[in-house]
Amino acid sequence: MTTYILRRLIQTVGLLFILSAILFTLVNVAPGGPITAYAGRRPRPERIEQLKRQFGLDQPLPLQYVYWLVGNDWTKIDSDGDGIKDTAGSRKGILRGDFGLSYRTRKPALDEIASRLPNTIYLMSITMAVALIIAIPLGIYSAIKQYSLFDFFATTFSFAGQAIPEFWLGLLLIIIFYAWLKNPWTGEPLLPAGGISSLDGGFSLSDRLAHLVLPVLTGTLGWIAWYSRFLRSSMLEILPLNYLKAARARGMTERNVIFKHALSNALIPIVTLIALDLPYIFTGAVLIESIFAWPGMGRLYYQSAVDRDYPLLLAVLIIGAAFIILCNLIADILYAYLDPRVRYE
Amino acid sequence: MFTKKRTLLFLTLAVIFSLTIVSCSPTPAQPSATEGPASPTGSEKSITIVIPEDPPSFNPMVADTGYDALVMELVLLGMADVDPNGNVFPELAADLPTVENGGVTIDDDAGTMSVTWTMRDDILWQDGNQVTADDVLFTWNAISDPVNGTWIPGIDYIDSVEQLSQNSFIVNYNSIYPGYLTQFGGEQLAIWPAHYCNLEQGFLSWDCGREPLSDGPFVLHDWVLGDHMTFHKNDNYYLAPKPELDQVLVQIVPDDVVRKTMMLNGDADIDMWINANTAKDLEGSEKAKVSLSPTDRWVMRLYFNLAQKGTVDPIAYPHPILSDVNVRRAIRSAVDVDTITSEIFHGLATPAWTEFFRAPYQCAVPRPAYDPEGAKAMLEKAGWTDSDGDGVRECHGCSTGAPEGYAMEMEFITYAEFGEPLELTQQLIAEMLGEIGIKMNITVVEGSILWDQAENGGIEQSGNFDIDIWDDGYAGVDPTDYIWELYSQEALVPGDGYNVMRYDNAEVDALIDEAYTLDEASRKKTFCAIADQINEDVPLVHLFTTPNLEAYSTRLAGVQSTVNDLVTWNIADWTLK
Amino acid sequence: MIQSTNLSSIIWKRFTRHRGAIVGMVIISIIIVLCIFAFISPFDSEKSNLPEKFLPPSSTYLLGTDALGRDLLTRILYGGRISLAVGGIAVAISLLIGVPVGALAGYYGGKIDTILMRITDAFLSLPSFLVLILLAAILREVDLPIFQRNSVFTISLVIGILSWMTFARLVRAAFLTLREMDYVSAARALGSSDGRIMLGHILPNGIGVVIVEATLQLGYAIIQEAGLSFLNFGIQQPTPSWGNLIYSAQDHFTKYPWLAIFPGIAIFLTIISVNYIGDGLRDAFDPYKVMEKVGEFT
Repeated sequence: MTTYILRRLIQTVGLLFILSAILFTLVNVAPGGPITAYAGRRPRPERIEQLKRQFGLDQPLPLQYVYWLVGNDWTKIDSDGDGIKDTAGSRKGILRGDFGLSYRTRKPALDEIASRLPNTIYLMSITMAVALIIAIPLGIYSAIKQYSLFDFFATTFSFAGQAIPEFWLGLLLIIIFYAWLKNPWTGEPLLPAGGISSLDGGFSLSDRLAHLVLPVLTGTLGWIAWYSRFLRSSMLEILPLNYLKAARARGMTERNVIFKHALSNALIPIVTLIALDLPYIFTGAVLIESIFAWPGMGRLYYQSAVDRDYPLLLAVLIIGAAFIILCNLIADILYAYLDPRVRYE
Repeated sequence: MFTKKRTLLFLTLAVIFSLTIVSCSPTPAQPSATEGPASPTGSEKSITIVIPEDPPSFNPMVADTGYDALVMELVLLGMADVDPNGNVFPELAADLPTVENGGVTIDDDAGTMSVTWTMRDDILWQDGNQVTADDVLFTWNAISDPVNGTWIPGIDYIDSVEQLSQNSFIVNYNSIYPGYLTQFGGEQLAIWPAHYCNLEQGFLSWDCGREPLSDGPFVLHDWVLGDHMTFHKNDNYYLAPKPELDQVLVQIVPDDVVRKTMMLNGDADIDMWINANTAKDLEGSEKAKVSLSPTDRWVMRLYFNLAQKGTVDPIAYPHPILSDVNVRRAIRSAVDVDTITSEIFHGLATPAWTEFFRAPYQCAVPRPAYDPEGAKAMLEKAGWTDSDGDGVRECHGCSTGAPEGYAMEMEFITYAEFGEPLELTQQLIAEMLGEIGIKMNITVVEGSILWDQAENGGIEQSGNFDIDIWDDGYAGVDPTDYIWELYSQEALVPGDGYNVMRYDNAEVDALIDEAYTLDEASRKKTFCAIADQINEDVPLVHLFTTPNLEAYSTRLAGVQSTVNDLVTWNIADWTLK
Repeated sequence: MIQSTNLSSIIWKRFTRHRGAIVGMVIISIIIVLCIFAFISPFDSEKSNLPEKFLPPSSTYLLGTDALGRDLLTRILYGGRISLAVGGIAVAISLLIGVPVGALAGYYGGKIDTILMRITDAFLSLPSFLVLILLAAILREVDLPIFQRNSVFTISLVIGILSWMTFARLVRAAFLTLREMDYVSAARALGSSDGRIMLGHILPNGIGVVIVEATLQLGYAIIQEAGLSFLNFGIQQPTPSWGNLIYSAQDHFTKYPWLAIFPGIAIFLTIISVNYIGDGLRDAFDPYKVMEKVGEFT
């Protein structure tokens, strides 16, 4: 099994490099591009040449990819535009953890990511935890009471959660809870419009929580729908199985049947699913972060797409992909371990 | 078996939840420039500025987003700056060098000039060191560095910069450069501290660009990326007791609607660059007002491509429709500018019909009348008639060289970033031209593709358009370089300039050459002659100026929007009611 | 194929027992019919009528008017054509890629399976919405005959390219099971070609899960287009889509909320109906046997 998973991992990573080359090419051959974004509407030709050199865009594309991948500290580059390659390169390449300088800030792309990552993990892990806390009972109960009124409402709620565009809901919530509704005692808006915390004053738990309500509410609906539907169907698969019938026949209470036997088996796929969803904790939610002024990864990524900040863009993508591969691996192992029915070739 | 599985299950859940708890811990802040608690006491005067994205740095020369210039005004000074009316005033300079006071010497024979700057001696960096000509020379060296430097306006005209004393230096120009007063100042350039910034890191990427040493009214206290920046009053500010404010918070709020709502709720004090829709919504609010710049800078305009679509040579390949000046004039008469400014820009945009509509160069060009019937007649006369009754005119004996029966149908491009008002404007103009029998097919693209270089497929540069519409204008008070780039025959070649209309008029070229002089009166005469010529030839149609609007809270006094700088240009003078 | 007609009537019977699915079916049919017949609206979707701009919903303008005085309902119906087209084309593209990949992998197994599945894995390891943003941002600037600046087709293609993997996995799982069936061996023994076996014998029996998934993906694609539009990377004006109607309404959200609320409701109704239909179809196709296989890793 180990060799199988390992082989699969290596193959996937290999392919990821091919994909990274495709992405890199796509990004770099696209019209528009960083020069116009950073040289202004009417750049002078000298400025364009200089920027190309500073961004390393004066090299042929395959060489740019090589530099991006393995760095250029082993060769000489032309840094002053005199056509002579006389300066030693200083980039280490992504394989050695150097994702280059952000075009927009001229600071290491990794530093930018490091400053945003904790905020995204903070928001997304709470969003997903809330989703699980609600979704697990919801899913179990709808499965037990399949086709009941409760099941109908739970299903409708789940489908509604998936059907509402989150940016639309987010704006609506801000208008309602920030612009319209006021706290009857203080006259202040009921909930803050965005951000992680208030800017005046130090750390306060209630302030932190107030800032979490709207983004978590907006983000969690879809996740609740996703997990509860999944749990409902995996419970429904298990409930009619023979060993549960046997347990019931042995006189076990329905409560024990469900919680001791059915649930622990139904949770197996959901654990795997959670492992597969972990990457979202890294990549964040672009739309929610934009609406609620959340300084996270999603917004950083969106900003770099708008600004054509390719080093940063690619850094987020590659690290995100690496994270997904890792989580897939964890999911595979968990699944194989938890479910004895699964055998690898 | 079950127990083992369950243990693992709960282990996994535990891992997930511990992850949650770990991440709940307070957000690590960016290393702050100075240490100390951020909490101001109740008596302190604090305001909040909301902007949609982080400034990339304090140096607008890196990425020019506007937000960098906004915060640069808080902490860094230049030699001179420009006020809302276009008057230059000194900052680090003791006074402004002119020909009259001997600061500027002109060599008429060589056509060159030298400018001597003297600096104030009472301006200190926040650490107590004096701001001197060393800092200017240091900044100049950093900018002109061939590897890590950058291009700044006027740099092509500078031969050398030399230090004369601790407080003075001279700039030698290889030409007459009318924009010399803002050479080391204006909205984009500041003087950087020689003893603090690291030249080896380069002008665009040095660390002091993000953790600047202040000589301005405020000092950066902390910066949590993506969230907010905190500025405290600079006790060493040379105009003490200014600034009156003790603290400025710059909060990052990406969504326009949210920023507007914060203004309406009184939770923000400044929202810069609001659009006309937002300004309209703030009308009558108790918490927020709108500041309008006394002059405008950006003119919304229609660019005509005088060369055939996809080519750049108007002589060899004239445009089948637009190369006839009568067609261009007809289009100008068919656009109802007043309807657009009142209905879409809520009366906040002002009609403009020439490049020279603002001080110091205002020219009396007669306003073209809105006359759709006249436009139709002009088109009929020019050989464009609708003989098949489909509502679109065709060439029947037109003078542009278009084949008989060629339909008057063109692509009409604009850029997406401006937002809804421009998209609506474009749709209305297309409709207005449709009324006189010209069919316009609307396209909206991203700005960077519209303005990119020809070799990268830039639409304008490669001539790949019929008509496009966007807002343009010159920065500061000197239009000379701008006029050359836009109208001269030399600037018609892709890559050499931005004459994307491919407008070619020898008379205008000669006038542009005459404009490179420091004599105000003769410059004005030259510019007005150019204005008349352009009004006659209509290579483009000036429509209206887009308003420069800033929202500010009613508790704040002294805010004055300006097109020559960012709204924070006079933040040292702001007071709280 | 006597068996299959019989089967489809069973499926239809089961489907009609699902109340939610029937209601969803009715709603989506109404939406589609209205969008198709948008032209019978007495109002022009593009021509301005400035004196009547920003009117709230009334008996003349059922959903109010927009910034140029155009009837919002008419614009939503025309926008619906685009949004539904994006959903449809995106799913078609996913199917065109995913079904053959899954079929070939499942049918032939071995090396082909490994290669195709590793490609699938690699695509699955991309953060999809991020890549979607990137591709939309890039293609917005490309102006080739088919890829005209975020045309309906371009956006659909991008969404489709990033969502075919589920189809590949589902189809592969179905093929893995079905290829061992007696009737397939029989067909093979009778000398049917591989292509014929795949298309004629296996695919029809594995089509259920694919249809269920396609229904759900349709809704997903519509939401994704809306999200892209909100970021201004979606279909560009003046072509209206539900997404960019909401985008343009943003400026007026506080004052004229109906401009943003109604297109949002249109999206909501469509997606929720589609989800119910998907749920009904899943029950009807008795997913248990097939879905079990999908969950497995092989």
